[in-house]
Amino acid sequence: MTERLRQTARRLLEEGKVQVVIGYGAAGHPALITKAEDAQKLEWNDHCLANLSVYLTRKEVKALGKAAIVAKGCDERALVVLEKESQIDRAALYVIGMACDGLGAPKCASCQVHLPRFADEVIGEVAPPAAAPTGPNGFDRLMAKSAAERWAFWKDEFERCVKCYACRQVCPLCYCERCIADKNRPVVIDTSATPKGNFAWHITRAFHLAARCVGCGECTRACPAGIPLALLNQALAQATEAHFGYRPGMDPQAEPVFGAWSPADREDFIG
Amino acid sequence: MSAILSVAALGELVAGWIGQGKLVAAPVQVGDRLLYQTLATAGQAVFDAKRRPSNSIKEFFFPRHEPIFRYRLEGKEIALSDVVPEEREQIVIAAKPCDAAALPILDHVFNWDYEDGFYTGRRARTTVVTLACAAHDEACFCTSVGGGPEDEAGSDAMLVDVGDGKFEVRAITEKGAALFGATPGPPAEADGGTLKRAPRRFDPARVARYLGANFESPLWKELTLTCVGCGACAYTCPTCHCFDIVDEGNAAGGVRVKNWDSCQFPFFTLHASGHNPRSAQPQRQRQRLFHKFSIYPQKFNAVLCTGCGNCERNCPVGLGVLKVLEAIDGEQRRLDANEPVQA
Repeated sequence: MTERLRQTARRLLEEGKVQVVIGYGAAGHPALITKAEDAQKLEWNDHCLANLSVYLTRKEVKALGKAAIVAKGCDERALVVLEKESQIDRAALYVIGMACDGLGAPKCASCQVHLPRFADEVIGEVAPPAAAPTGPNGFDRLMAKSAAERWAFWKDEFERCVKCYACRQVCPLCYCERCIADKNRPVVIDTSATPKGNFAWHITRAFHLAARCVGCGECTRACPAGIPLALLNQALAQATEAHFGYRPGMDPQAEPVFGAWSPADREDFIG
Repeated sequence: MSAILSVAALGELVAGWIGQGKLVAAPVQVGDRLLYQTLATAGQAVFDAKRRPSNSIKEFFFPRHEPIFRYRLEGKEIALSDVVPEEREQIVIAAKPCDAAALPILDHVFNWDYEDGFYTGRRARTTVVTLACAAHDEACFCTSVGGGPEDEAGSDAMLVDVGDGKFEVRAITEKGAALFGATPGPPAEADGGTLKRAPRRFDPARVARYLGANFESPLWKELTLTCVGCGACAYTCPTCHCFDIVDEGNAAGGVRVKNWDSCQFPFFTLHASGHNPRSAQPQRQRQRLFHKFSIYPQKFNAVLCTGCGNCERNCPVGLGVLKVLEAIDGEQRRLDANEPVQA
């Protein structure tokens, strides 16, 4: 797979179809390849966890020109949402899809998209998905608790938050030019890493990602304090699916919950 | 002097300190991470010479959030009140030598044109007991910045794992000796030579020379463009010490606080006019490296880095300072050898 990935990248750069290939380099860390001869630096291995679609909305990367991106099935869901939210021009992007049967827990534990579906090219094959894991996972165990227990759980977890914003910076859907956490005239969310400031930050971020989060799990992976942030988003994703039958990034034809309106919309949940 | 203590005896000592009302911090297992935390019970402390916590001990001297004073608005009057300082004695135990080594480095800046009483107060009432390193990983580079697995800088006492769940206690300062009821011994021979040292990865002097002449270089963008701009490196770094001062409260009053901040955030340098002198991420990465390896050494004759490797281990995109330092060290070697620089 690695060799074919390099060939594709080399060809795209040589033919001038793209000016940058956003992929994985040494040790599976993100790499921005701009020269055909550097295509050999691309790698594909179990360390290629990062969701590279985060780079598509960065002005420093946009300035490099037309891009090709290496995307796993999970990453591709983010591309679908970014297109729906008019953040990327899918036609101007070359997507190199990578078949992937999971790179590591907990990120890949609940993955449902091992094969990219909308890529310009898919490299590799995956075995038919194994039977769904049996028994409750971390999310099920948390949701089985009482509201008071869940509150206590998050209080303990948020206690360790130092407000480094790694969760936000690695999130492909946290692309706001000015995050609400950075608003200081007036301050909307306390910058202090206190229980108040931390709850305000994480709950607000989860709300902003409701019906948008694609469940790539990058927030959990990036957190230096080991806070399982993806669980918050998973709860909102579950609610979105239950109430609206919508799973972000799964179907490019589906209208996003917050981006579409119809007189037939349900209102029964409004108190 | 040195004594041998079992891990059980260390646990009893820790329990005793907690019982006396002292604050005791140590590495604690939290999920799959090891994190320095203030202990609730002695049993939480992990004495593992082979693992490095994901955060640093700076938290216990320079907390992520610190109230400076409180204010109340009464009509046209403003009433200020000091915060009640924490006065309990503090012990940090089983800290890594690369964490302790940060303290004498940080002392410079917190005692420079203004003595930061919050920091110096904590320094004075804290005893630091390190645990010598019995292993290093790919991200470790203490030996490149003058440290080592038994480096005593910043330590009041040091534990050395001698196997079978036993630790040799080396008292280094009076403070450390008092903690273990011992007398401080002569300084250990430089790095004893018994523990495996991480290989040297670069020369800080050569790096500083490169920085001195290459503020503008295409290398910065080339090496750091993948940085996503979070503060994971800075906030887990033992030496990064930038903070912001903000008022939090309402129309009636509030508190002025000192919160950690990072040069990796765009808003760190955003002017009120809207202009940002560091408008792109590679410029912010360059700044962090310059501060550590050029500005701080020029000002205080100390490199602002202990080679702990936390920046790389905690970086969501695997960047950290080491790769950049190795690259510019190599670049300067080529320049020194007067070889043509690779395009």
